[in-house]
Order: sequence, then C-alpha cells, then structure tokens
Amino acid sequence: MITVNSLGNKLKNSIYFREILISAIIIALLLFLFIRSGLPIILTIFIEFAVFAIITMSLNLEVGYTGISQFGRVAAVIVGAFAVGSIPGRLMAMLMGLPYGVEYASDTVNFTVVPQINELLVNSWLLSLGFLLMCVILAGVFGAAIGWLISRPAIRLKEAYLGISLLAFGDFFMWVGHNWKGLVGGSVPVYVPDPFRIFAVDRFTVIVLFIFVVAFLVYLYLNKLTKSPFGRNLRMVRDNDVSAAAAGINVVRVRTQSLVIGSALAAIAGGLYVIYTGTVAAIGFTRLTFTFWPWAFMMLGGIGSNIGMLLGVFLLTILRTMIVIFRSQWFGFLLNVGIDPLWLEFTLMGAVIIIVILFLPHGLVPERVEPMLSANRVRKIMARRQ
Amino acid sequence: MAPWMSSGLIYASGLALTAGSVTLLYIVTRTFNFAVASLATIGFYVTYTGVALFGGLPYQYYPAVVIVGAILGAICYYGLNKHLLRRQAAEITLMMSTLGYDLVLLSFIQMYADFLTHSYRLFPRRVTMNIYDFELFGEKAAVIILPIIAVVFLTGLHIFLKKTKFGVAMRATIENPVLAGASGINSDRIYLVSWIISGGMAALGGSFMAMAMTGTPVMGMYAIPLMFAGAILGGLGSLYGGILGGFVIGMTEYAGVFALSQRFGPWVLGYRMGIPLLLMVITLLVFPRGLAGIPLFKLLGSLVGKKRGASA
Repeated sequence: MITVNSLGNKLKNSIYFREILISAIIIALLLFLFIRSGLPIILTIFIEFAVFAIITMSLNLEVGYTGISQFGRVAAVIVGAFAVGSIPGRLMAMLMGLPYGVEYASDTVNFTVVPQINELLVNSWLLSLGFLLMCVILAGVFGAAIGWLISRPAIRLKEAYLGISLLAFGDFFMWVGHNWKGLVGGSVPVYVPDPFRIFAVDRFTVIVLFIFVVAFLVYLYLNKLTKSPFGRNLRMVRDNDVSAAAAGINVVRVRTQSLVIGSALAAIAGGLYVIYTGTVAAIGFTRLTFTFWPWAFMMLGGIGSNIGMLLGVFLLTILRTMIVIFRSQWFGFLLNVGIDPLWLEFTLMGAVIIIVILFLPHGLVPERVEPMLSANRVRKIMARRQ
Repeated sequence: MAPWMSSGLIYASGLALTAGSVTLLYIVTRTFNFAVASLATIGFYVTYTGVALFGGLPYQYYPAVVIVGAILGAICYYGLNKHLLRRQAAEITLMMSTLGYDLVLLSFIQMYADFLTHSYRLFPRRVTMNIYDFELFGEKAAVIILPIIAVVFLTGLHIFLKKTKFGVAMRATIENPVLAGASGINSDRIYLVSWIISGGMAALGGSFMAMAMTGTPVMGMYAIPLMFAGAILGGLGSLYGGILGGFVIGMTEYAGVFALSQRFGPWVLGYRMGIPLLLMVITLLVFPRGLAGIPLFKLLGSLVGKKRGASA
C-alpha cells in the first residue's frame, strides 16, 4: 500500500501529471472500445488519429509557434491530395504506355488504367516502395510550393485579414478541384494506385502502421524544430513581431518559412490520407473537416505544445468514433423523431471549442517554458568552465 | 431586367446585410463573427418553415426572422462573448469562440432539417425559395421588394446610430471605449445591442440570399468567405463600407460570371466563387485597408491639381 501511495504522490507531483492522466483516460477508452467492438474500430481510430495528428501539428507550428491565424489549412491538404491523385498515377501510366493525359482522370479511362497499374505494383515490392516514396515526396514538394505561393500576397497582412485571405484560398482550391475534370476527375472521384496492395489481407494494418510511423517522425521533427534556435525565432515573432524585428529577425522570412514547412507537412498528410482511402474526391476536402476540426483538436490539446496536439487529437477522435458506433444505443430518442445522431459530431466539436475557450484557455497541456538545453548539459558546460 | 441582374440584385442585397453585420460586430467588439454563416441559414429556415407550414409570402415572416436572429445573437453575447471581452481575449480567441457557436448552431440546423423531413414530409435540404414569390410589374417581386427592405432597414439603422442618444453612445464606444466608459456609458449594453442588431441583420441577409440561391443547411457555410470578403473589401472600419463591400462582392459575382461565361463558355460557372475572392485579394494588395481606406479626397485633389493635404 505504501508503495502505491508513494507512486501516486510521485505521479501527482510530476510535471507530466496532466499528460499521464489524459493518456490513462485514452487507454481506458481504447480498451473499452476494443472489448465492445473489436480490432477494426481501433485501427480506424488509429488511422484517423495519425492523419489528423500530422495536420494538427502542422497547424500548431503555424498558429501556436508563429502566430499566423491559419484558417486555410485545407488548402495545403488538398494540394497534397491532388498531387498524389494526379501525378504518380499518370507517370506510371506513361511508362506503361497507357493514356496519361487529360483523359487519365475521366471516369471511364481511370476505371481501367488504375487496376493495370495496381497489377504491376502487386508484383514488385521495390516498385511499390518507390511509388509510395514518390507520392510522399511529391505531396511534400507541392505542399511547400503552395505554402510559399499563398504566403506571397498574404504574409504582410494582419491577424483577421490574413486569416480570411487564407480561408478564401482554401475554399478556392476545393472548387478548382471540383470543377477541373482533367485534374482529379472533378465531381467523379479518381482512383489512386495502391502501393500497399502487396500486403493483400494485411493491407489495412500495414497502412495504419506506416501512417502512424510517419506521424511519430513528424512529431519528433517538430519537437526538435521548435526547440532549435529557429523555434525560438518563431516564438519571438509570435510574441512581439516589432521587438523581433528590432532584434534582427527577418519577420516576413520567418513567417514564410513556417508557412512553407507547415504546408509541406499538411500536404504529406493529405497525400497519405488519399492513399489510404484509395480515391480522390475533391468535394470531400471541406473547410469543416480539414480546417475547423484541426483547430478544435489544437485548442483542446493546448496551443503551442506538440504532445498536447497528439493527446487532443486522440481524445476527440475516440469521442467522435464513439458517437458513430453507439448512435443507435445512446441516442435512440433522436432516431425516433427522424434525426440522425451523426450531427452530434458537430455539436461535440462546437461544444469542445466553447468549453475550452471559456474554462481551459490553455488547453489540456499548456505550453511549457522549455529550456534550450537540458539541465545535465548545462551542468556539464558549467563544470567545464570552472 | 436580365436574369443575372435580378438574381444578382437580390443576392447582393443579402450579402450587403450579412457583410454589414460582420463589420458592425467587428468595429464594436473586435469579434470576427463566424456564426454569421449559421445565423444566415437559420434566417432562411425560419422563412421556409413559415411558408411551407403556414402558407403566405416569404416577406411576411421577415419580422420573425429578425427576432430569431436577434435572440441567437443575444445568447451568443451572454453565453460567450461577454466573458471573453471582460477577459480582454485575443482577436483569434474571439473568432474561434464564434466558430464553436457556429458549429453548434449548424448541428441544430441539420437536426431541424431531419426533423422537418421526418415529421412533415418536406424536402428542406434543397429548397428554391423563389417559387413562393409573386410577379410585380412583370418582374419577380423579390427584385423590387428586397432592396427596398434592405434600404429601409439600413436607413433605420443609420437614424438609430446618428439621431438617438443610444446611437451616439454606441458610436462613442466604437471611437474610444475607455473614454466612453469614463463618461458613464455602459459598454455592456452597447455590446449587447450590437450583437442583437448584427444577429438580426445576418438572419435577414440569409433569408434574402435564399431567394436567389438554393437553400441548403450548409448555405451559410458555403457563402461565408464571400460575406467576409465583403466586410474586408469594406475595410472593416466603417459600417457603410462593409455594406457597400458586400453589395459589390455580390454584384461582381453575378455580373462577372455572366460576362465571362458569355466570353469563354459555360465552364466558367463552376469557378464563380473565385471571382469575388480574386477581387478581395487584389483589393487587399492595392488598398490594404479596403474600400474605406481609399484616399478619395486626396485622389480628387491630385486630379484637380491641388497640392497634397490642401484638399482637406
């Protein structure tokens, strides 16, 4: 008993108490879902978590660390999705001597071309891997390019103006994709060649693992980045751009860099999402799902803390899935008057945003003052000096 | 009148009201109101419910529309905005709080649409409101009535702001909140009234817009970049600038799409949203403070040949 007590005390006094508590809640909920509904649901939660974690962390880099009011996250995600949906498949078709021009995206041609490419990919794991890498790199490059392009007119604007211009850009990209049939099929979704087909039955599990690993790598990268001198620059620009400029930081350049990195990461997430679903439907990339939900995740997690992003996304993804799974059991009274309980997802998101703003302004895991170097390193340096 | 012009006029009046609502709230409370989207949709659904269940013309339900919008605005102020203003929250926080409110309202709208479908056998997810309209002087009545209602409403607002004591207090708070508070003006009430007015304006604007476009539960969500574009085009500084900005955005969308589709063919129609947004981006690049920031008198002065600054 004594050990349990002292362990409890240790936990309570730990600076990571909040993180540990929330992780415990998440694990408990996952176990509950696993027992009630089995593994496929858990995998679905994991994949949604991984995709949205990347998007939310990239959003956090721009909003939380740089102070750009990014209301157009969907733009970068869309560009990543379009890049993966339109270019790698076309390249493969060109190499195989199949139609690869504008007609590639028309539904009748696409329907026959993509299975042929898949056939080729199934037989060679090297080709599959190369295809996957090409997808990720293309998404990243196009995302970075679009981040730079968007930043050109918008970067000098102030808070609300900047946010609204970015929002307008995001919407515009969606309508371009929806109307330009030669790109990704317009209103008829285009198929994406599947580099994971080689794993046959385990395809889904492998995809989940892969995106999970990518999300983890992004987390490590952003953690390093935000602790580096560059991360300090970002925070200085966020806190006071005038004093940052006075200290010799090129404010416009720093903000542009942050936008480019964030957009590239979000585009990679968009590309991976498209590979997972297997189709690109432009109309599915709405401002609601890919801008406002990441904002809700971010606000719950705590703006300006990377670990908070992961926890926030995980918690809300689980809650959303629970609404979907238990909608007939818990919300039968709504079904009786013909109301689909799925709309409660919107209520949940809105309520989370409101509650967080009113009662938890810094989120579940508030931003911490992080020392540049660990205490041990500092001690060593001091010892060397003496 | 050509069809693009009549629809454009209706649509632009609606957009002018919603953009004016965004601007009014921004200059009084610094809040960039996302909830305008759902308020507009709610305005449309109030008229639709009235017409579909009780019959009559859409216009006779407009008082109800304004009242519902005003109540929802007041709820948002008491539940959310008041506490944040007291806390002197950042602009982005204020903006996000209204987004949360907007999502909650959106879910209620969707549920309400489900409810109408189930209980009254209606089809509230795709509504063309102008079938409930009547003919007036050989035109759709909405073309004549709606701009008149908009002008009357805005004139009323103008008189309220310029002539009444409360309006003067409101303008004083806009100009200098601290000084206004020091001279005994209750800023709480000013904020509440501005939320009520802008809520009513947004809902009325939404029910206007439904006369020109297809009414859906996500109608407001679709049009909100344009409402914001109107407010930004107006410079976010003066109420009249916002109203003018919204009107210009709405008319450009219809006129521009009409002209371009005549020239290049009907595929342009899909990109109609891009035209007003492009206009907004160009305006922001050339006049970063919007239409209200254009130094008209200076330009006039330079045309006439006076020296700089002498024209004031």
